[in-house]
Amino acid sequence: MSKPHYDREHHAKKATGIGDPQCFKGEAGKAKFKVGDRVRIRNLPDVFYTRCQVYTRGAVGTVTELVYESPAAEDEAWDNTDKPEWFYSVVFRQKELWPEYPDLYAEDTLESEFSERWLEPA
Amino acid sequence: MSEHKAAPMVDEVSDFEVLEMAVRELAIEKGLFSADDHRRWTEYIHTLGPLPAARLVAKAWLDPEYRKLAVKDGVKASLEVGVDWINDMPTHFGTPSDYCNLRVLEDTPKVKHVVVCTLCSCYPRPILGQSPEWYRTPNYRRRLVRWPRQVLAEFGLQLPADVEIRVADSNQKTRYIVMPVRPEGTEGWSEEQLAEIVTRDCLIGVAVPRPGVTANALRPIHPAVHPVQHDHGHDHG
Repeated sequence: MSKPHYDREHHAKKATGIGDPQCFKGEAGKAKFKVGDRVRIRNLPDVFYTRCQVYTRGAVGTVTELVYESPAAEDEAWDNTDKPEWFYSVVFRQKELWPEYPDLYAEDTLESEFSERWLEPA
Repeated sequence: MSEHKAAPMVDEVSDFEVLEMAVRELAIEKGLFSADDHRRWTEYIHTLGPLPAARLVAKAWLDPEYRKLAVKDGVKASLEVGVDWINDMPTHFGTPSDYCNLRVLEDTPKVKHVVVCTLCSCYPRPILGQSPEWYRTPNYRRRLVRWPRQVLAEFGLQLPADVEIRVADSNQKTRYIVMPVRPEGTEGWSEEQLAEIVTRDCLIGVAVPRPGVTANALRPIHPAVHPVQHDHGHDHG
């Protein structure tokens, strides 16, 4: 019986000369959210690996940009690249993330990126 | 017998450096990449520095059309300062460790951006070189997102309450640089003169450019916690 062949270079072959995340363009389908939408960061299980910061879980922010399409980091860490998602730049008021943040600086903000699975309408 | 001992090349080898060596050697042994690939990557990384990013900012200050391009498409704008995010790297597609998406965060007199990576140490290496040691410390990463004004004050940057501080936490495939506001006192300057005051710290966002200041602020250097022992073979009796 022959050993099953796994192509360790499939990502390199796809991305060479195009770039990552550019090589996943057009693969995520229709985006669920648009610029200006209010979204809440979901608190999904994150056994083994995540790039969704715990301090953002449950916080409500505003989508400022649909940045690119890519497999979610939680999948890509295990080389599961067949279901790319839309990624969003989301801006939060600091006060929303840290309740003790001083009112004097109520305008201060923080932005970060999230794949679609982490967002729900708020 | 001679008492001469060679001086150690480093003060301390961290657990992470030992881990990196072990994983690297294993990866080479398993054929994931060759020792030659590793050498080419290391040599490439050592050619990088913050000058292209400083030039990008200086150019954008002088040319409103280029400024629009820089904000809209940082990767395309990088080409004009000699950085090709996709093809420069030995892999010709970005990764490992740096993807091909650059965003230029445009400061205004009322908005000041500052960059961090709370999860690890994401940094726009192709256009800014290797990150400074403090940028990778848990101290900076943990505190900047939560107490940005206090941390900036430690860098000597105190901002009035009516300036919004926006922290960019680089957690996915976008890498950020900050385009600060062009300071007063630089009227009539050339692109080269302007680029000189756009230091690495200004591009991370922990400093703002000032005429006459062309170097990063000095950061404290802490002594090694576990100093390297370099007396192998020496009999302690």
